[in-house]
Amino acid sequence: MISSSLAIARKDLRLAFAGGQGPVQAVLLGLLLVFIFSLSAAPGERFSAQQAMAIFWLCSSFGVVLIFSLLFRFEEENDTATALLLSPLPVQSLWLGKTLAGLMLLLLCQVFFFPAALVFLGLDPGSNPAGLVLMVLAVDVGLCVLGGLIGAMGHGQGAKDALLTIIVFPLQIPILLGGIRIGVGLMQGTPLGGLADWFGLVMAFDAVFAGAALFLFPHVFRGE
Amino acid sequence: MGMFRIYPKILMILAGASMALMAVGQYAIWYHAPEELTMGLVQKIFYFHLPLAWWSFVAFFGVCVSSVMVLWTGREHWDVLAGVMAEVGVLFSGLALVTGSIWGRAAWNTWWTWDPRLSTTLVMWFVYAGYLVLRSADVGGTKGAKMRAVLGIVAFVDVPLVFLSARLWRSIHPAVLASKGGGLEPEMWTAVWINVLAWGALFATLVLARYHGAGLKRRVEAALIRIQEKTLQ
Amino acid sequence: MNYLFIANACVWLGVGGYVLFLARQHSVLERRVRQLEILDGDE
Repeated sequence: MISSSLAIARKDLRLAFAGGQGPVQAVLLGLLLVFIFSLSAAPGERFSAQQAMAIFWLCSSFGVVLIFSLLFRFEEENDTATALLLSPLPVQSLWLGKTLAGLMLLLLCQVFFFPAALVFLGLDPGSNPAGLVLMVLAVDVGLCVLGGLIGAMGHGQGAKDALLTIIVFPLQIPILLGGIRIGVGLMQGTPLGGLADWFGLVMAFDAVFAGAALFLFPHVFRGE
Repeated sequence: MGMFRIYPKILMILAGASMALMAVGQYAIWYHAPEELTMGLVQKIFYFHLPLAWWSFVAFFGVCVSSVMVLWTGREHWDVLAGVMAEVGVLFSGLALVTGSIWGRAAWNTWWTWDPRLSTTLVMWFVYAGYLVLRSADVGGTKGAKMRAVLGIVAFVDVPLVFLSARLWRSIHPAVLASKGGGLEPEMWTAVWINVLAWGALFATLVLARYHGAGLKRRVEAALIRIQEKTLQ
Repeated sequence: MNYLFIANACVWLGVGGYVLFLARQHSVLERRVRQLEILDGDE
C-alpha cells in the first residue's frame, strides 16, 4: 500500500508541475491574504505573535482547499478515476497518495507564506526553528488528512465542490487553534515540553481523521 | 405506506405529551424553583438553556448513528433521519447559543466570551449548518447518501477535538454539573429534570413530524413518476 | 429580569417559527399528494 501510495503521490506531483502551474493559485492567494491583513494595522505598528500566526494558518487553510481541489481535478480531467478504481490498488492507497502529494504542495506554499508573514506582519520567528518545523509538520498532516477525504467528495461535482468548504473550515478549527497556540508559545520561548498538551491534541486530530479516512474513503471515492 | 398512517397518531400523542410537560416545566421554572442568590432571576435562563444544549448534542449524536446505519444497511430512511436530526439539532443549538449569549450579557456583562462549551456549541452549529446546506444543494448526485453519511460521521468525530481544544484555549463557564450537587437546591433540580424531559418530548415530536413530512415528499415524488410513466405509454 | 424575558421570547419564537414552517410544508405536501393521487386514479 505504501509503495503504490508513493507512486500516486509522485504521479500527482509531476502532473501538478507539468503544466508549469503547480500550487501557484494557492501561493498567490495566501500572499494576497497576508498583504491584505497587513493593511489592518497602522503603518509601523506590529502584529502580535497570535495575530500573525492566525493569519499564517488562515492562508494555509485556504491553500489546503485549493490544493486538494487541484489534485482531484487531475483524475476528472484525464478521466482516470475509473482506471484507478479498477486497478488492484487498495482504494485507501489513493487517499494516502493524494494526502502525501497535498502535504508536499502545502509545505511548498508555506515556504512562501512564512517569509511573507515575517516581512508584512513583522512576525518574530523566535529561537526554536526545529520546534516550529515540527509544529508545522504535525498540523499540516492533520489538514491534509482531512483535505484528502473531503476533497475526494468534490470529485465529479462540478461547481458544487466549492460548497464543501463551508464544512471543511469549521472542522479544521481544533487543529488551527493548536497551530496558533503552539506557534505563539514557541515564538515566546516556551520549551516544547510546556506545549505537550497542544501537541497531544494536534496528534490526536491527525490520528483520528487518518483512521476515519481509512474507513470512510472507500465510500466516498467510487466510480459512478 | 402503513407506517405513514400510524405516524399521525403517535405524533398527536407525542405533541400532547410535550405540551403537557412544557406546561409543568414552565410552572417549575417560574413558581417552583427558588431564585438563585448571586445571579438572581436571570439564572432561570438555565432551565431552558441546558436542555436545549443537551438535546442538540443528542441530535448530533443521532446524525452520526444514522449515518453509520446508512453505510451499513444502505437504507434510504436512515439518510432521511440523519437530515431531520441535523435540522432539529441546528435549531436547538442555535437557540442554546442565543440564550447562552443573553445569559452571558446578564451575568458577565458580555454577549460573547470564549468558553469551551459555548465555543464547542458554536463550532458544531457551523459544522451542522454547513452539513444542511450541502444536503439541500444535493451534493453527491447518485452517491449522495453515502457522502452525506461520511460527512455526518466526520462531523461528530470532530466534536471531542473541538471541545478539548476550546478547553485548552481557556474557560469561565460555571461548572454547574462538574462539582457534586453543583450548588443547586433540590427544587432547582426538579425544575431541571422536568424541563430536560419536556424538551426531550418536543425534540421527539419535531423529529417525527419532520420525518413524516419527508415521507409525504417521497409519496409526491413517487406519484409524479407514476403519472409521468402513464402519460408516456 | 428583562434578559430572562428576552431569552424566553427568543426560544419560543424559534420553536414556534420552526413549527409554523413544518405545518406549512405539511399542508402544501398533503394537498399535493391528494391532487396527484386523484390524477393518478383518473387515468
